Amino acid sequence: MSKIVEWSRRASPWIIHFNAGGCNGCDIEVLAALTPRFDVERFGILLKGTPRHADILVCTGPVNEQIKSRLKRIYDQIPHPKFVVAVGACAISGGVFRGCYNTLGGMDDVIPVTAYVPGCPPRPDAIIQGVYALLEKLKKGG
Amino acid sequence: MNELLFVLQLLIFPGFLFLVIYAIFAEWLDRKLYARMQNRVGPPYWQPLADLIKLFSKEVIVPRSAGYYLYTLLPYFAFASVVTAFFFIPVWSPQALYSYQGDLVIVAYLLTIPTLVLSLSGWNSATAYSILGGIRCLTQLFAYEVPFFLALLTPALLLGTWNISEISQNLPSFLFAHPFYFIPVILAFIVGIIALQGKLERKPFDIPDAETELVAGPFTEYSGRLLAIFRLSLDMEMVVGASLLSAVFLGGAQSFLGIPGFIAYLIKTLIVIFILAYIKAAVARIRIDQMISFGWKILAPLSLLGMLLVVLFQKGGIL
Repeated sequence: MSKIVEWSRRASPWIIHFNAGGCNGCDIEVLAALTPRFDVERFGILLKGTPRHADILVCTGPVNEQIKSRLKRIYDQIPHPKFVVAVGACAISGGVFRGCYNTLGGMDDVIPVTAYVPGCPPRPDAIIQGVYALLEKLKKGG
Repeated sequence: MNELLFVLQLLIFPGFLFLVIYAIFAEWLDRKLYARMQNRVGPPYWQPLADLIKLFSKEVIVPRSAGYYLYTLLPYFAFASVVTAFFFIPVWSPQALYSYQGDLVIVAYLLTIPTLVLSLSGWNSATAYSILGGIRCLTQLFAYEVPFFLALLTPALLLGTWNISEISQNLPSFLFAHPFYFIPVILAFIVGIIALQGKLERKPFDIPDAETELVAGPFTEYSGRLLAIFRLSLDMEMVVGASLLSAVFLGGAQSFLGIPGFIAYLIKTLIVIFILAYIKAAVARIRIDQMISFGWKILAPLSLLGMLLVVLFQKGGIL
């Protein structure tokens, strides 16, 4: 029974996309990854508008002080089990904004992150691969 | 023994379990056709099943502002009404599980309940998005419901019976004996398909859950098991709507018994589902006011015209 449940989690990852104060570069690439050209529905990935329906939070940008509480709230609104993919250099380490007075050094200061996608911005293929790596990690029981 | 057979029929073959499996298949087919029409590969065949199992295994969150009991009970109402509606539709024999005079009206009203449940759950969720979605659900109901009923009543008027099984048995032979009546029936079928598209809230009538404006409409706050039941009941509504149209207009499982009848039923409902998917892929969303004026200025007069033609042909003696 639990094997079927684990399989279903890997087979149907619904994502929600959130911009935590980035420059919009990564967001354009995330949207490009959802176009028919890449066809992420092959892997069961669907973009959902509300955190209540989502499993994976695909999040971009360095987290700035204003959006910190909102990011936390959106993460809390996702029902368990939930995972986070940090997309872009800023989300990993703060990127070019590192050391700014109003940003944090990456997303994992606020919420637990499972997979990181480097790049400034990362290519759409890389983002899909990041989500796929997350699913592989789930398969191994990570 | 007979009672046991009847219960098995209710629960397994033309009843509940078959409906669930066919609904899951229909959702996959719909998404796959949609993807192929957009030049994509589309989801694998286990996709809707994986979605359902995942949603059933997820956490259920009930917002503090929502009424707890209504919030958790509403999805089951939609589910139950759609399953009940399915019992009146012939699947493998010319006779449905239940049939009596007037079951056409019963089915039409049972198919209205999911819409009402949706709008009520939108209201009850007490979020701006879901309340707006609920309002739009009800507003849209007024646009498509009257043409849908009138379209369903055209064959009923033609044959003088309000029994779905009798209509599906007698309509094809009647039409081939009197080909003039093809005109109103085809007209009613077109209106019925478009109104069904509105009933299922699919493009171009997906105004209540317009994801670019309203996040997810009435379901915005639903999660986990409750969302899964809502999704399943909408899929089942698609199957029941397609079966209803195929039974009323295309003859359903007409004149065959057993497996050939079942195959006829499958082919006819799949044709209806294909047309629904084609419309979904071909058009973009319209605004709610455009929907209302389309419903009342084009759909309702067309369905009235169909009924008028039937009356004129019958009074004029073209038989």
